[in-house]
Amino acid sequence: MTVLLSDVLIGIFSTTLRLSPLYLFAGLGEIVTEKSGVANMGIEGIMLMSLFTTYAVDLTTGNPWLAILAALGVAGLIGVIFALLAVQMRLDQIVVGLAIYLSGLGLSFVLFNTFAGTRALPAFVNIPNVHIPYLSDIPVVGQILFQQNILVYFALALVVLVSYFLGRTSLGLRVRAVGENPKAADNMGVNVLKVRFLAVIFGAVLAGLAGAYFNVGFLQNFQFDIISGRGFIALAMIYFANWGPYKTLFAALSFNIVYATQSEFVSIASTAIAGSSQLFNMLPYVFLLALIPILGRKARPPKYLLKPYKKG
Amino acid sequence: MQGLRWLRVTAYNAAAIALGVIAGLVVVAYAGGNVEVALSTLFLNPFTTKSGVQQVFVRFAIFYLMAMGVGIALKAGLWNIGAQGQLIIGMVMVFVAYIYLAFLPWPVLYVTMILLATLGGLLWIVAPTILRVRFGANEIVVTLLLNVVATNFGYYMLNGPIKSPIAIGYPYTATLPAKFQIPNIVGGFPLTYAVPFAIVLGVLLYFLIERTPFRVQANTVGESAETARYAGISIPRVMVITMLAAGALAGLGGALLQMSYFYHIDAGVFVTNWGFIAVIAALVGRKHIIGIGIASLFFAYITIGAEAMALQANVPTSVVFVMEGVMMIGILAGTYLAERRTAM
Repeated sequence: MTVLLSDVLIGIFSTTLRLSPLYLFAGLGEIVTEKSGVANMGIEGIMLMSLFTTYAVDLTTGNPWLAILAALGVAGLIGVIFALLAVQMRLDQIVVGLAIYLSGLGLSFVLFNTFAGTRALPAFVNIPNVHIPYLSDIPVVGQILFQQNILVYFALALVVLVSYFLGRTSLGLRVRAVGENPKAADNMGVNVLKVRFLAVIFGAVLAGLAGAYFNVGFLQNFQFDIISGRGFIALAMIYFANWGPYKTLFAALSFNIVYATQSEFVSIASTAIAGSSQLFNMLPYVFLLALIPILGRKARPPKYLLKPYKKG
Repeated sequence: MQGLRWLRVTAYNAAAIALGVIAGLVVVAYAGGNVEVALSTLFLNPFTTKSGVQQVFVRFAIFYLMAMGVGIALKAGLWNIGAQGQLIIGMVMVFVAYIYLAFLPWPVLYVTMILLATLGGLLWIVAPTILRVRFGANEIVVTLLLNVVATNFGYYMLNGPIKSPIAIGYPYTATLPAKFQIPNIVGGFPLTYAVPFAIVLGVLLYFLIERTPFRVQANTVGESAETARYAGISIPRVMVITMLAAGALAGLGGALLQMSYFYHIDAGVFVTNWGFIAVIAALVGRKHIIGIGIASLFFAYITIGAEAMALQANVPTSVVFVMEGVMMIGILAGTYLAERRTAM
């Protein structure tokens, strides 16, 4: 069997791009949440619940867009619950986040089990990839860049939008203010709890979009623990990116390149490395950890991250 | 007043646990199971079946070790969410010693298996510790990521270096022979020496930590780095000691789990979520060595019951995660209410 280099490159780079929205949606949403001083460690659980919702609604209605919409609704609802507990009641954000993760992990599978049962299921309807006219005909580059799912382009646009929102809009300024100095923001007439509520819900809805995308753009399936830690990886990426949207894009792309390269390598050299594929599977994570001493050094979290705010 | 406060905290915790149980029953009812049978299985199975009793004892020992580790690190304000990974490494190291150090005489190898597991857990937390102390990296994120790495590493070891030569297809390790198992205290009663061992270790740690100035130092670091610096406490020293203790205890838990319960590794042993239970038990036990012991015993009991309940009611065992999640929030909310009442 001969392996064409161009095929390998197309494989690696198109997987890199195809996986990016997962981390970008989850990561960008969490950046906004954390900039407001609240960390939602439960996005993994939200992603699982929204992934299941997408699955169930898609199979029931045959409409992937409706499925995404339902997933966003479920995610937003979990966001409201998180905000009530962690912002309103000021419960420990880490514990509430982990509890949301555990509940989502368990509940999504129980629901799936009941939904799927033993009956024959209809086929999953996914969102087809976009073929941008002319550009997608360019060899190699066209296949990598211009034949992706529409949500891939949306995720890339969102990097710019979130950066603009946080840096240039007055609501973005308020989000940063309640994360850096809620007391001062309060004195200036900003409703700290309201801003944090909105930031949490925004982050949750985007985590929901990440879960929904993973299904309509990728898996078209559901399994127990199907996100398998990718939500937590998104949390790590923000840290390496020092809460910057563009740096998050960089972190996501570089992680995905390592991931795609190792999985391409494992599938090509499967016989040569028999039994060691799991060692290669560890590479992307080890790579991410190795980035800490290099990139994480200057990381400075929002000053009031994890600190609940009480008026007066 | 102090007595009343304790009573209230206990009452709130009981309410939180009841809330978790109700959540579990709602899921059972939704999935079409028999709620009445589920409820009696949940509470009675851990007492009435031999395997139930055995599992409660073993789990108590393992949970206690892991949760003590989490609790000690929490005193210093550090979150070890990676106890699961450290437990996996501990289990793997038992078999690494058993297979690759087989030339050692029996008692030496027996002890080496336990020590190597402890060392493995300790080494697994070295990276998060260095990254936290030296680079200020968030230990929650790093220990979480290392869980994924540990699981992959465990699968790799299971598929190669520690795989049983007779395993074809589905990989598993050889079974530890009786002389490498931790024996029962009384002949037929399923209580191994792992349990008194964990309790003795708890007593030891109680005197080493709760009754020494180290407790105050750790608490100070946990509450305010500024105060700690002002008081001349070496923050890195406290962080390193508490983190390494957490890793070592979870690794040791892995050794006990293999040597007194599973006796072999297959893919199934990697997917428990005991690292999270350790976090819950540490919080419920209010980071205190004795409180953590009581909480660990309770969670050993309730998780065994819940798993039996899931099987009985034909619901996926992942219902246990839902119950744990609801209990966690309930316990936090209880603490919040208790504090609000004291404040008024």
